[in-house]
Amino acid sequence: MANVFTLAADRFLGRGEASVAIPPMDGALKPNSAVDKAEHLLAIARPDNLLRAGNSVLFSSGRKLLAVSGNWSRPEPVVECEAEILATASGPDGSIAVFDEVRGLSLLDISKRSMVRRNIARLPFASVTAATFRDADTLLVCIGSTRNSVTEWQRDLLDSEVAGSVWSVDLRTSEAKPIAQDLSYPAGCIVLADGKSALVSESWKNRLVLLDLDQKKAPVPVLTALPGYPGRLSPRARGGAWLSLFAPRNQLVEFVRRERTYRRAMMAEVPKEFWVAPALSSGASFSEPMQGGALIQMGILKPWAPTRSYGLVVALDDHHSPVASFHSRTGGSRHGLTSTVEYGSGLVVASKGGDEIISIALSDGG
Amino acid sequence: MTAADIEGRAALNDDAELRTGGSGSRSIWNVLERWRYRFVPDRLIGEILTKRWIDSAIPFTVLVVVLGVIAWLLPSMFQPSSLVIAARQLGEFGLVCLAMMVVVIAGGIDLSVSSNFALGNFLALYLLNLGGWPVWATIPAVVAACGLVGLFNGILIGYLRLRAFLTTLVTLIIVRALVDILLLKYAQAMSTGFVDDAFWDLLGLGNVAGLPTSFVVMLVVFAIAHILFSRSGPGWRAMAIGGSRKSSHNIGINVPRTVCVTYVISGMLCGLAGLLYASRLGGAGTDTGVGLEISVLTAVVLGGISLGGGRGTVAKVLIGAIVVLMLTNSVIQLGLNAGSGSMVLGLTLIFAVFVDVKWMKHRDKLLNKVYMSPALVEMPRPASTDRNSGSPYALNDKLNGVDIIGLGQVEGPEDVLFDNDDNLYCGNRQGDIIRFRPPLYDKAEHFAHIGGHTLGMALDKDENILVCVGGMGLYKVSRAGEVSKVTDETNRARFSIIDDSRLRLADDLDIAPDGRVFFSEATIRYEMHTWPMDALESRGNGRIIGWDPKTGKTRTVLRGLVFPNGICIEPGGQSLLFAESWACRVSRYWFDGPNEGKVEVLIRDLPGYPDNINRSSDGNYWIALLGMRSPALDVALRMPGFRRRMARRLAPDEWLYPNLNTGCVIKMSPEGRTLEALWDQKAKNHPMITSMREHKGYLYLGGISNNRIGRYKIPGADAQWSGFQSYWGKAHG
Repeated sequence: MANVFTLAADRFLGRGEASVAIPPMDGALKPNSAVDKAEHLLAIARPDNLLRAGNSVLFSSGRKLLAVSGNWSRPEPVVECEAEILATASGPDGSIAVFDEVRGLSLLDISKRSMVRRNIARLPFASVTAATFRDADTLLVCIGSTRNSVTEWQRDLLDSEVAGSVWSVDLRTSEAKPIAQDLSYPAGCIVLADGKSALVSESWKNRLVLLDLDQKKAPVPVLTALPGYPGRLSPRARGGAWLSLFAPRNQLVEFVRRERTYRRAMMAEVPKEFWVAPALSSGASFSEPMQGGALIQMGILKPWAPTRSYGLVVALDDHHSPVASFHSRTGGSRHGLTSTVEYGSGLVVASKGGDEIISIALSDGG
Repeated sequence: MTAADIEGRAALNDDAELRTGGSGSRSIWNVLERWRYRFVPDRLIGEILTKRWIDSAIPFTVLVVVLGVIAWLLPSMFQPSSLVIAARQLGEFGLVCLAMMVVVIAGGIDLSVSSNFALGNFLALYLLNLGGWPVWATIPAVVAACGLVGLFNGILIGYLRLRAFLTTLVTLIIVRALVDILLLKYAQAMSTGFVDDAFWDLLGLGNVAGLPTSFVVMLVVFAIAHILFSRSGPGWRAMAIGGSRKSSHNIGINVPRTVCVTYVISGMLCGLAGLLYASRLGGAGTDTGVGLEISVLTAVVLGGISLGGGRGTVAKVLIGAIVVLMLTNSVIQLGLNAGSGSMVLGLTLIFAVFVDVKWMKHRDKLLNKVYMSPALVEMPRPASTDRNSGSPYALNDKLNGVDIIGLGQVEGPEDVLFDNDDNLYCGNRQGDIIRFRPPLYDKAEHFAHIGGHTLGMALDKDENILVCVGGMGLYKVSRAGEVSKVTDETNRARFSIIDDSRLRLADDLDIAPDGRVFFSEATIRYEMHTWPMDALESRGNGRIIGWDPKTGKTRTVLRGLVFPNGICIEPGGQSLLFAESWACRVSRYWFDGPNEGKVEVLIRDLPGYPDNINRSSDGNYWIALLGMRSPALDVALRMPGFRRRMARRLAPDEWLYPNLNTGCVIKMSPEGRTLEALWDQKAKNHPMITSMREHKGYLYLGGISNNRIGRYKIPGADAQWSGFQSYWGKAHG
């Protein structure tokens, strides 16, 4: 029974709601170096939004959308948007939706390499984090937060905002209506096989929720206590989904989330890349905050040292349980895995923090 | 010279601080907060908790509470006449409690104290009244007789390994029965007798130096027992047996004999107490001492003596005895029912035991949480290290191509040193001094072993190596490799709770022209391995100490410094430069000449944490920065509450640390101007730098968490210059 006194006692003693404990990576999530050892495909700045389009793979790099049809040394530019590409989705009839920060939703015709803008009223497109087609005419769009744009996701996390929502966009009428609100930064969605529900990542609560698309029931958490912040979901051939976690949980970050004075002073005075907050990549500058376990002893940085960035991709089965995972541990260069797509016999993964696209061979692990 | 002067200078630099946005930085709230963290010494709470006598805190509090309640309910208890009677009773009761304590500390228990006491009482009266013995013969006889009872217990328990509880219970019953039989036979005859002896009267009814005799006797015996248990071999051995019987046996203590002796002593003390009782009351009844073992046990446990043995002091027994005695007496005075006395005693016992058990269990945890008391530090804005800023600290790749010496052969070479024959010496974390020979410097040779972690080194004019050993002190290694201690203690600060006469983390040293050695002790509140806690505190916990070879005396010369690290004597021989790591500044201290005692800050806005300082060949100084400042930590340094909560809630691996993974070397002029900086920006080749030494045109780098020594060719440096020459003139031979 929570009341004012137990809450105050919890805050003083650091337990209950104020506890900073994080779940360990164990079982199917036991750390390995599969991502570090994966095959290198392409080095490019900030790759994201991997998509299958027929026989080719589409991906974004900043404002550009590029395609590769088998030869990774020669990516072909498809189109260039006005601003950073936030999310893409491919529909059952081959149409491709592209969201960018300034123009919002555009539909891409890949053969003609042209984009047609769609003006969707009410949709706050500066904060689009993910999108997926429900059917040929309906698009599901995740809005991370109405208080912070996508580039300010660290601020949104540190302030523990609950300002995200999932919208359903009808492409025939260009109307959008919210189907779930007050979510804590939804950053990935995938429609399940029955077409009636969708799996959505609620990042700051470290869980996946099942959304009823007909809005008859409230969202139900199905996978909780993840050791990172879940991001995009992509379909998995053997059933279930691939979940990319773009940043790890960290006890110090959890602590700072509960310390208002320090947080405010830090966010006001310190440049964003040096905040005590998760990041897509870390270790570039000595001005970044360092934690005790990351002290290099005798030339060795321990792989289990606390870190602000991490590479983690998890395979989920039909029951939304993790069955396998691929990691890039502390000190690795391939962190900030934001997007995955199955292609050929492997899983292509975009490392936005490592500026690299890699491929993990799937034998029985996938 | 105190930290106040240095802090005063630092505070003057407020105008150089960076405050972008944020709430009103000069608000009254801010000023109050700074005063609170500067003047309220909450570090004292943690320091008091580290003292050994704090264990008596709980029983002492119980004593104060009980006495307070009694004084409130029964003021008459504290009138002189009542106090005198109570003191006499305490004399006897205290001795029996001590008897119990002696046995309990060695891991046993003696329930027969009460019947032994009754036996002593009876024997004294029998021998004096019926036997007609003189007092000077009776006293030893009674004590010896009761000691024999104790010997009986001791043989059964110590040598025959019977269980203490049952055996002494049996002894209790047997001796009680014996006393009853004897009383039956002699009580009437004894009651008609009369002892007329001045000494006997003094013992029972007289005063010595204004205090009741039995009370004085008890105090003397307690004092002897205190010395025995806290400062003598036999006492320590008894406590060791109580702590762990098996381990004591393994290290060679004669366990059966020691245990037997404790029972004999217990018996003798009961005899003495019985004597005092006889001298006071002069009568022996069948109820003498009945139930005394329960009160005595209560007193011992209430005082905080662990029944499992191995822990306890004589002072605690005294506290427990006083509490029990006053409680029993006040219950009688209040006129409560017969059982109330035991009830009150029982409840007090339960309460005291509960609190004591919880205290013993959580004391270390409480100490860990309370000990760290961070200070409010407002760091000045750091000098820029941007590549294109044009600042002397700008990032570069000058150290990217250093040669590596001894990769993997040394672990933790904090400092490097050269002698006149170009041999290279360094320390390591196993406490050795390792030598590399010229010209290849490829093989690590073991030169000397000292212990601890060998840190800063210097060469004196006879080419002995003086080295600061972390965890041990200042040591000297001769040219032949013989190790001798120079000093490991200094004068204790007058008002320091912590015993700072010991050296915890001697870091770096340098030698003045007249042979005096000045070395830094980084922190007095933490040990060598808990330096991260000192970093989070950023308090002036360190000092500079001077050793004079002429007198052999060690004296602290400068206190209240924030992790003083590198020391370098300037060529004038009257001043030295010292670095304060967490304060990111380098200062000059005059130890001689007209400016003696003066401290002047040279650089106060270093972008990193300075470590060792050594001379360079062109009249300047090399300073190693062992880590770089990070803005998130600088913000946290303004918020002691945040750091304290972080230290309590998170494991040390998760704390925000100063970033020691990247370091650099800077060159500073004697006026305090930075001339250049040398970086290994990718932190691949030589990431961690704590020291550098120039020798014949090269700069040699050492790092305390590193496993290699780096060598950098200094462009345009004097290829004949060596440190020894710079300090002591021409090389020998």
